[in-house]
Amino acid sequence: MKLVDQLGFVKRNMKKNKLRIFMTVLATTMGCSFLIVLASIGFGLQNSLMEEASSHQPLTQITVNGKMIDETYHEVTEEDLATIGATENVSAVVPQSRIYSHSEVTLEDEFRASVEGIITNFEAEKNSNFRLSEGEFPENENEIIVGYHLHEVLNKFDRTTLEYITTGDSNEELVSYDSNLLGKIVTFSFMDDSSETVFTDEYKIVGIADEPARDWVQDRSVYIGDERREDLLSLAGQEDFYNNVTAHVASVDQTEGVTNALKEEGFMVYSISEELRGINVFFTAFKAGLIFVGTIAVLIASIGIFNTMTMAVTERTHEIGIMKALGANPSVIKRMFLFESASIGLLGSLFGVAIAYGVSIAANFFIPLILEATTNSEGIDITFSYIPLQLVLIATGISVTVACISGFRPAAKATNVNVLSALRREA
Amino acid sequence: MINVEHLHYSYKIGKKGKKSTVPVLKDVNLEVGKGEIVSIVGRSGSGKSTLLNLLSGYITADSGKITINDRDVTNLSEKEWAKFRLEHFGFIFQNYELIPSLTAFENVELPLTLKGVPRKQREERTQILLESIGLSAHEDHYPNELSGGQQQRVSIARALITEPDIIFADEPTGSLDSETEEDVLKLIKDLNKNRNITFLMITHDQEVAAIADRTLKIHDGKMNQERGVYFEAR
Repeated sequence: MKLVDQLGFVKRNMKKNKLRIFMTVLATTMGCSFLIVLASIGFGLQNSLMEEASSHQPLTQITVNGKMIDETYHEVTEEDLATIGATENVSAVVPQSRIYSHSEVTLEDEFRASVEGIITNFEAEKNSNFRLSEGEFPENENEIIVGYHLHEVLNKFDRTTLEYITTGDSNEELVSYDSNLLGKIVTFSFMDDSSETVFTDEYKIVGIADEPARDWVQDRSVYIGDERREDLLSLAGQEDFYNNVTAHVASVDQTEGVTNALKEEGFMVYSISEELRGINVFFTAFKAGLIFVGTIAVLIASIGIFNTMTMAVTERTHEIGIMKALGANPSVIKRMFLFESASIGLLGSLFGVAIAYGVSIAANFFIPLILEATTNSEGIDITFSYIPLQLVLIATGISVTVACISGFRPAAKATNVNVLSALRREA
Repeated sequence: MINVEHLHYSYKIGKKGKKSTVPVLKDVNLEVGKGEIVSIVGRSGSGKSTLLNLLSGYITADSGKITINDRDVTNLSEKEWAKFRLEHFGFIFQNYELIPSLTAFENVELPLTLKGVPRKQREERTQILLESIGLSAHEDHYPNELSGGQQQRVSIARALITEPDIIFADEPTGSLDSETEEDVLKLIKDLNKNRNITFLMITHDQEVAAIADRTLKIHDGKMNQERGVYFEAR
């Protein structure tokens, strides 16, 4: 008997008992959608956490600290930078030194801001995909890049009193600089420990850094080229070392390999991918647990499939008897019943997937609103439920497999129908 | 064509531990030639239906040998029997045994479907057969929408659709009125004559036995005539 004819019989038989099949499919749908929705919470929370973790630091960035030799910490040296740069798959090494002294930027003797002075290598920054919102990378010693929010913190001040000027209204807000900083000449200065200004120089702003990924971070950095690095650090009273060295790789896959290679070299290394690996292990176990619990719902639905198929065999005993009497192969009869139970599983999972997507979308829409309302906080951006294709495939696989197993015994029963008993019964 | 030698069959009855056997067929011998119509008569419980069931492969003999079309079929597996039935046999049952949820057309087409004949080909063959048997007007009717005679015609058409060598008929007119019985018997006779199909019929109806080339009688599980010998010539 051809497969298409077997499927034709299955379709006809299913149509004959619409209500019963509908109820069984409904039970399977509920089981399958429960399984997907439950597991989708695991996937959703994992995604939210991963996004949160990777917003701190790009996945392709590895922070390299110095070495611990004989219980003594050694800062990253020039030689170390060369070693890091020569490591396979490292596309750029960015050595930064932060000026810890109080630093300021003054614009047109009218606006002033406390800033964070960072001495860096612009060529390396460029290679590491440091992004500018506008402008370009400095090419001369007296050109700088400033943080995205610098114009917001540049406030107007009184030249004589050096006090900040407010708007004068009831809000008493400071007056910020409201023009574009690109191309402006600013004065950068910093003090020593005794609050004496030890360095002042004029710089031209040629680039403005990209907006930070995290909304609450205010970037008020001033990036200065490392041509005068030693002098600046000396004036600030700091030792000559790099306090923030980052190695960059081209793709996320390479992060782990480079991290391990640098560790072998003795560096103290941190990459977000290490943290994410731990998160992934936890969530893999968590999701497996959720899928297991969800499978119980599918197993409960399988009892319905077993009942439906057993009733179908009982009802169709006469028909099976006739088919066998005429010469139907027993394995074909078995297969038709297995197809029928598998169809119930497949239909149930198709509807289940559709419903699960609906529930997932609704959950992601309403739960943040409820959380915002109950916690009085705004802008809660959390993916509560996420259904990837792999979850759909897993749930469909489980549903169809469970349905086939449920239909196996009734199908075997159908195969063993005695022709004479089946025909005599109706006589 | 059909050769039965020393066939024995007993029914097992009773519960576990108290089982006993009731002999039904005792040393039955039978030979049926190609194109013959042979009827087997006997009282109820004589074993005639059991013989037909053994020849159809629905049950297995205790001992003896059955050869059909020169093939020893005595110990075929269930799967092999299914294939053999589909290839060589047609069946006409007393209660027609049509599938209620299939139309007359689909019931007739069923053996071809089971054989895996392509749809177009089987539809053509079914159409031609239904026309030749005078049922094309009822092809879309379900069995419960047909009279007894029409249902038996559908059953006969279903037996013929695979162009079998042998048709087993178990009380083919048992559920029909006398007028319809005459029609069905005429149809059987015509088919035998025109298509050279071998018929083995179980009956206790003299009218049915009358169309047979020879009639054999079973009494208490024994065929009371030697193989191939006419019991009652027409």
